[in-house]
Amino acid sequence: MYPQYIGAWILAHPIWIGEQNMSISKPFSIVKHLFKKPMTLAFPFEALEPVTDYRGRQVLDLERCVGCGTCAWICPNEAIEIVEYNGRKYPKIHLGKCCFCGLCAEYCPSEALKMTAEAMISMFNKAEAVYGPDKLSGKAK
Amino acid sequence: MGENELEENVLEKEIFFPTMLVPFGPQHPASGHFHAMLKCDGEQVVELIPYPGYLHRGFEKLMEYRLHVQNSMLVDRICVLDPFANEMGYANVVEKAVGVEAPEKGKFIRTIMAELGRILSHITWIGVLSMALGLDSGTRIAWGDREKIIRLNEIATGGRIYPCFFVPGGVRRGFPEGFKEKALKVLDYLEKQLNLYDNLVFQNKTVHVRLERVGVFDSKEAAALGATGPNLRACGIDTDVRRDEPYDAYPEADFKAVTMKEGDGYARALCRRGEISESISMVRQLLEKMPRGKIRIKELALAKAPVGDAHFCCESARGELCFYMVSDGTNKPYRVKVRGPSFSHTLSEFPYLVRGASIADVPAIYWSLDPCPSDMDR
Amino acid sequence: MSEEITSSLKSNFPASITGIVSEDKNFSLTAKKEEFCEMLSWLKDSGFDHLSDVTCVDFIEEKEFEVIYHLWSHTRKLRGAVKVRIPRESPSIRSVVDLWAGAQIHERENHEMFGINFDGNPNLSPLFLEDWEEIPPFRKDFNSREYVKKKYYGGE
Repeated sequence: MYPQYIGAWILAHPIWIGEQNMSISKPFSIVKHLFKKPMTLAFPFEALEPVTDYRGRQVLDLERCVGCGTCAWICPNEAIEIVEYNGRKYPKIHLGKCCFCGLCAEYCPSEALKMTAEAMISMFNKAEAVYGPDKLSGKAK
Repeated sequence: MGENELEENVLEKEIFFPTMLVPFGPQHPASGHFHAMLKCDGEQVVELIPYPGYLHRGFEKLMEYRLHVQNSMLVDRICVLDPFANEMGYANVVEKAVGVEAPEKGKFIRTIMAELGRILSHITWIGVLSMALGLDSGTRIAWGDREKIIRLNEIATGGRIYPCFFVPGGVRRGFPEGFKEKALKVLDYLEKQLNLYDNLVFQNKTVHVRLERVGVFDSKEAAALGATGPNLRACGIDTDVRRDEPYDAYPEADFKAVTMKEGDGYARALCRRGEISESISMVRQLLEKMPRGKIRIKELALAKAPVGDAHFCCESARGELCFYMVSDGTNKPYRVKVRGPSFSHTLSEFPYLVRGASIADVPAIYWSLDPCPSDMDR
Repeated sequence: MSEEITSSLKSNFPASITGIVSEDKNFSLTAKKEEFCEMLSWLKDSGFDHLSDVTCVDFIEEKEFEVIYHLWSHTRKLRGAVKVRIPRESPSIRSVVDLWAGAQIHERENHEMFGINFDGNPNLSPLFLEDWEEIPPFRKDFNSREYVKKKYYGGE
């Protein structure tokens, strides 16, 4: 026991340990974790499901969208572009640039753009990362 | 200057007393994203030359082209390990510039999430300190405990590491049903885990020997070099922004700023360990006292700040995080300056403390200061 | 509480202060370039032992830089800011490393990002950027989008 540490404890208002208790054998209490349930999951056989309000990929409702362009204006990374599809204007989102902040869904005046909980998105080439109105609304596969 | 020029200078000047150049990082388990060259004479370090900039993204320039609400989404990435502090700083500085305060319930939600972020950052720090000292079990268990708090982030905000939750004017969503019970369960679990960390890390004789009397500075040197946060409180100076310049719901919470006297690595570790207990008690108090009402004033997100400047400091897990914003009357800021706490810690204090230490002490000193390279570079 | 500091400053340095704003726990003043070092030294002796930050703002229309020193006193629990204006052509100002050792790295960053020369700073070599040949990047006349297009996309 080092005396200066006991002095420091008295002066420093100890809040959780009453005295120094250094030892070499205390860390061995960790061995009991060998017999407990592990903290990890065996991905991909077990997966952690995102909560329902998770900010994942966007989904578009083709009927409600009015083509105002607010989503393209508010996006911090300029990832949304307004394009023509079936004679009306709709957003096209580049998921590689998107940071999934949710501002486009929050500021959409007709609630046409919403965030889903789909988080496992991956592709092999960059062109597939651009989701046009057909992919966003689920009409194309 | 580049590293080839550095070597030529060294060879020219020190041809009779050759020193060894040992690189520390950036691909090193004990250095984070930070590169430094150690000039060593045998086993002892003579000088440390830092080469920061691996994470320099130029936030201050990026923020001049975006609206306030867009900047709030960007500002998370300044310090990844404690994201709520950055959001808190930016939201408050815009509110100060415009002159409107957030509603009461919004302030409470912000304070609760900020304290949960502090616990998350300190548990991450325990994990990385254990990894740097070679105690891998501490890392694995800390990463498992982090998951509980990150899950709470996900439930409350929708994002795990980048919550994008505080905006000027309040918060984007209220707490969902059942959040309070889940949070209290996580806090009870974490308090039991603190006993495990005490046994494994803080009362471990090996860790004690590696951190005690290592990296010592006294209070005058610490203040002159720009230390803040737990690094400064471990030297005896009792400064805590949450208590001295209170903001949000901190006046409603009853807490102590943990101070120690020695100023060495072990004292800094104990300061952070004490802060975890204080934060757990603060979150419990604030969850009890939560008022009802509005959570957000929506107009402030796109508001035009008047011509002038505003300065705001908040206490992140690492120290004093300051935002200084100059605005010119439009809805985009003219200039934003972010003062990251790790800028002074890594580039002023770390080279000072390392002189005369042995090479094996360098990771221990580095992680006892709890630096965040993304905070330093911005 | 900051009234005593601001009134002492006004009596000690009457000619240098051009604007002063004082609230309960913080104050901010604009000083002339000639005497600001003596003012900072006086403030350090009266208890402002923590230099939080050295910032710079580029006012391109007024053709001036404004260098701001943010201070904090651990004993009095007061915050203060001292602002100094310097001309934009060949900007240069005295360094405060002899007052606060931690100022060296802040001035080095401002030198790299804005091009201001701090007389007396022992090391003003580049900090974050390597092999930088353009104008200092945080100035208002540096267009980062044009730079990216020119350097990485061949100008398209």
